[in-house]
Formats: sequence, C-alpha cells, structure tokens
Amino acid sequence: MKAVLVENLEKDYGKVKALKGISFEIKEGEIFGLIGPNGAGKSTTLKILATLLTPTGGRAEVFGHDVVKEGDEVRKLISYLPEEAGAYKNLKGIEYLQFMAKLYAKTGKSYEKMLELGVKLSGLGDRLNDKISTYSKGMTRKLLLARALMVEPKLAILDEPASGLDIINAYSIRQTIKQFAREKGITFLVSSHNMLEVEFLCDRVALINRGMIVEIGTPKELKEKYEAENLEEVFMSIIGGKQAVEVFE
Amino acid sequence: MSDFWILVMKELKDLLRDKGLIFGIIIVPLIIYPALGQMMQVGFEQAQEETKVVLVNLDEGQYGDLLIKALETAPNVTLTKIDALSIDEALQKAQEENYNMIVIIPQNFSRAIENNQKAQVEVYGTIRGISGGMREAVSEGRINAVLTVLNEYLAKLKIQQNMEGDPEAILKPIDAKSFTVIKGRIVAVPPSLVANLITSQSFSMPIVIFIMIILVAQMSAGSMAMEKENKTLETLLTLPVKRITIVAGKMVGTAVIGIIAAIAYMIGMRNYLGSLTSSAQVGITLEELGLTVTPQGAALFVLIMFLAMIFALSFAMLLAVFAEDTKSANTVVSAGIMPLTFPTFILMFADLETLPLAIKYFLLAIPFSHPILASRAMLMGEYSTMYASAVYLGVLSVLMLLITARFFTTEKLLTAKLRLRRRG
Ligand SMILES: Nc1ncnc2c1ncn2[C@@H]1O[C@H](COP(=O)(O)OP(=O)(O)OP(=O)(O)O)[C@@H](O)[C@H]1O
Ligand SMILES: [Mg+2]
Repeated sequence: MKAVLVENLEKDYGKVKALKGISFEIKEGEIFGLIGPNGAGKSTTLKILATLLTPTGGRAEVFGHDVVKEGDEVRKLISYLPEEAGAYKNLKGIEYLQFMAKLYAKTGKSYEKMLELGVKLSGLGDRLNDKISTYSKGMTRKLLLARALMVEPKLAILDEPASGLDIINAYSIRQTIKQFAREKGITFLVSSHNMLEVEFLCDRVALINRGMIVEIGTPKELKEKYEAENLEEVFMSIIGGKQAVEVFE
Repeated sequence: MSDFWILVMKELKDLLRDKGLIFGIIIVPLIIYPALGQMMQVGFEQAQEETKVVLVNLDEGQYGDLLIKALETAPNVTLTKIDALSIDEALQKAQEENYNMIVIIPQNFSRAIENNQKAQVEVYGTIRGISGGMREAVSEGRINAVLTVLNEYLAKLKIQQNMEGDPEAILKPIDAKSFTVIKGRIVAVPPSLVANLITSQSFSMPIVIFIMIILVAQMSAGSMAMEKENKTLETLLTLPVKRITIVAGKMVGTAVIGIIAAIAYMIGMRNYLGSLTSSAQVGITLEELGLTVTPQGAALFVLIMFLAMIFALSFAMLLAVFAEDTKSANTVVSAGIMPLTFPTFILMFADLETLPLAIKYFLLAIPFSHPILASRAMLMGEYSTMYASAVYLGVLSVLMLLITARFFTTEKLLTAKLRLRRRG
C-alpha cells in the first residue's frame, strides 16, 4: 500500500498560489525528502498532509485515507512536527511527553514504553524535570522531535526536523530516523533545504520550486542525470544560478 | 526622521493593522455604545410609564369622591373603578383580573374625616413574576404623593374651620396603609420596601455575572491565543483527538477555573455589597416575605449560570479564532462580549415587563440577561421562567459550541490572521 499519494495538489492563500498542482507518491517504509528554496511550498504540502490545511485543488491520501474527508482517520496514523513549533511552557519536559503519550497510547504498558522511548530520544536527561520555558531553542526542538517519534506513527511528517540543532544532534536525529524506518517500517516525509542532509538521509527526493515539482528520484539517479557530485549541484543546475543566488544570499 | 518618530510609526503601523484592535477600540465605542445608550434611555423612559390603579370605593360620602377626583387628576395615574362589597371581594377580583395596584377606600372613610378622626386608605401592590416590584414601588410613590397633597388641603380646611379633635387627625386626616401581595400572601409591608429588599438582594448579581463572564471569556480566548503564540496549536490539531474534544476540553478546563472564580467573587461581593445594603435597613427579611430559595430554585440557578458561562466560553473561543496573539484576543473578546453584557445592566433598574416589547425581547435574546432574571425568579419561585431560560441557554450554548467546533475543523484557525511571511 502507498503511504502517501498526492495528485495535482493545489493551494492558494488568497492571491498567492503556493502549490500549482504537484503529484508524488511515497511507499511504505520509505524516507522521502521534499527539498526546495524558501517559499517553494514545502511546509504547505506538509500541512495539507497533516490535515491542517485544506487544498484548493487535487487530492492527497495517507494510507488510502483522504486528508480532507477522513481527517480523523489520517490523524490516527501520522505524527507531525511543524517547522516552527513550541511546547507548553509551564509544563516540565517530562510532563509534556507524558501528556502526549497518554493521548496516543492505548494501554498502560504501551504508555510506559512510549514514555521511556521519548525520554531516551530527547536526550535531555535530568533537564526533563525542568520547565520547558527554561529550555534553549535546540533543547525544545529535541523534545518535540522525541514526542513526534516516540509515538511510532505509520507516517512521520517532519518539517525541517534538524533546524536549530547542532551538528552532533542533527547527525544523531538522522541516525534515529534511518533506524526507525529500517527497524519499525515507519514512513518518513521530511522537508529541508539542507541538501547534504537530504542526500544522506532520504531514499527518494522531490525538488520543489515555486509550487511545482521540478524533479523526483533517488539521490543517485538525480546525481547521474545531472552529472553532479552531490544534490546541491543538482539543485543549482535545475533551479538555475540566478534564482539560487537570490535564495542563498 | 528622528529615531523616536521611526519607533512611533512602527508602533502605530503594527497596532493599526490588527483588525481586532481596530474593531475593539474604534468601531465598538463609536457605534455600538451610542446605540446601547439610546436603548437604555428608552428603557428608563418607559419604566416611568403610567400607573394603572384599580379603585374600589366602599365609602358613600363626599371625601371618597374627593380622593377619586384627586387620583384622576394626578399626572401619570389612570384610574379604573370596580365594584365590590368588601375588601376581600375587591382583592379577589383584582387577583382574577391581574391588576397589580389596588386602592381601597373603606366604609366610613368620609365619616371618619367628618368626625376629625383618622381615615385610612388601603393600598395593595401585587408583586408578580420576576419584576422585583419596581413598578409597584413607583406606583405606590405616586399614590402617596396624591395623598400628601390631599392631606395638606384637608388639613388647611380643618384648621381654617377651627375644628377640634385629635390633632394628628387634623394635620394628617388620611393615612395610607400599604400592603404587598407576594407569592399569594398579603404582608403588611409597603411594596416599595419589598422592592428595595428584592433589588438589593439581586443588585450584586449583574456585577458578579459581568465580571465572571468577562473573566472566563478572556481566559478561554487567551488560552487559544496562547496556543497560537507559543506555536503549540499546529501540533495540537494534528493529535489523534477529535476536534470537538479539543474544544470541549479547553472549555471545561476554563469553566472549572471560571466557577471557582465565580464562587470567590460571589462570596467577596456579598460581603462587600452586604455592607452597603442590608436587610436590617429595611427591617424585614426575605424569609418573612416567604421568599425562600428552594433546592429546586438553587439548582436551576446554578444550571443557568453554568450554561451562560459555557456560552461565553465558546463564543470567546470563536472570537479568538480570529486573533493572532493574546493581546488581540483580549481586545476582540472585550469588543464582542462587552456589548452583550452592558445592556443587562438595565435589569438592575428597570422592570422587564414595563419595557417596550422590542427592548424586552432584545434583552431576553441576550444570554447574559438570564442569570440576572433567574436570580430574581429564584426568589419569587417562578420556576417556569427559569426552565424557559435554561432551555434557551442550553440550545444557544450547544449551537455556539457546534459553530466553534466547526471552525476548528476548518483551516480558519491557522490562516485567519496569519500575515504573509517570507524568510531568508
Ligand atoms: N498563511 C499564509 N498566508 C498567505 N500566504 C502564505 C501562508 N503560508 C505560506 N504562504 C505563502 O505560500 C508560499 C509557500 O510557503 P511555504 O511555507 O509552503 O514555503 P516553504 O517551502 O516551507 O518555505 P521555507 O523554506 O521558507 O519554510 C509562500 O509564497 C508563502 O508566502
Ligand atoms: Mg517551510
């Protein structure tokens, strides 16, 4: 079964056309990367799949469930990490994980397991007993990532998961994602503008620019097709020097 | 431009682009409050309407007719005469016909005056429903004014004629004996005192309700806005929980705090206002008037309070959908809820029944009028009005809840006020 099916997806915010009809599929257990410059429409796509936004046109399905008509069903299967997210500041880190685990876990035993995994994934140790308001940006991000992964969803939708993390933490989260995909069969949809991260992490990637998908394939395929050393070069030759300068300046 | 002005301009731009703020600080004061003021004025004018008096004349002499004439010529008083053979019969007839003000001129009224003895008129005010007796109190005042004028006239006459007898009876020939008919009982207490007592008891209610409604509304809107501000909302909305559960969970959480706050306020206000108006001043207690709160009445009252609060909560949450942060949430809520609570203050001074129909139904349509009305209905044992209030509020709250939940299933919550944002 396909984990994700996106067909001619369109999204307008008033006059702004954020998505102009994109299509792609993700197989179960795959790590799929959505890459593109700022404002390309990555977060918009992810929000639609996370049932937060309603598409203007086209359709999107998660494990066969329509994200618009069967929002409740979809939400049972996914775990979404927003690009910019916070946690309840007056709670302690551990309380936040407990709160989330209680909502997802069906039994007391799975709750304990989930919480234990969350504590481990967060890597926050004793600091979990402090209020979240005392956390640094990266610490909060680690907490949110831990909660997104500890629930072991069928599909994890992560919007720039490593943003704000240092190299070591970014590395370890990539390892965790890979491990979760291999061992637990969890499907990942990840957005990023860090090409090297994507190349290392993803089984397949889609390049999105100005609301359209311009290229799709495995990192290897893309590199061969464009005779490039790495994805960054692929990206540059597709999107073009001029805009790329605009983007990365 | 100096740095100062650059900062001022930025501040103005930032504030004036906030639609909620514009609505709250400009539209509401400019348009809604004058309209409300107009309405309240009409309400007050109407509360001063004609006093309709039913008169039973058991006297056969000239002074009874004189009193009738005096009442007929008095401003704002219209007189209807009915026939009865005794006071009991007169009262019974008045009861049947739903007259609320009765003046009875007893037998021997004229003879007493002629003999320089004290003559007595009996005035009965029937307090019914949830009016709180304000209308009867006004009527009583008007009748007393007529009697004062008449007394002065008669006293002058008697002194001129060098009458001898009880000096009291010469200086004040006619005494008014006022009774109140309440809950089917006649008590020898003037309607004005009873009205005073009832209103003083329910005076704190609108204030408590006002504070409480604003408080819980701010709280629930604030908690919604906090979710947006702290960027926890998106995560919350993707959890495997039904949207209505999220709304209900937030509401009940706030309602619990709201009820605790309401109880604290009620106790505090009771002590505060209790020092201003006590039943000791009036000399009678509600219990003596038969105005006791039964468990049924109390239960209904709490239910009505709770429903009004639920309505306020979901309404505030709906408003908060359009607010971006806590600051604009507060303004939007004040702008939305205040106009709904202010008019209910009319009920502190005016009798719902005497207001023009349009205003009466407008007030009845406002959910926050009902707890105030219920506080009086509870004393008067008017349970049918309370049931009606509860049903109305129940329907309204459920509707509001559904509308709010409906908004939670759309993307409005996330996009309603978000500005175009571009990084990099
Ligand atoms: N709430 C909104 N209202 C109006 N326009 C929006 C809104 N959110 C996004 N947009 C517009 O939609 C387009 C796509 O935005 P989106 O957030 O999906 O980009 P992105 O690829 O995630 O970019 P970034 O790398 O900066 O996160 C942009 O042009 C953006 O301005
Ligand atoms: Mg984005």
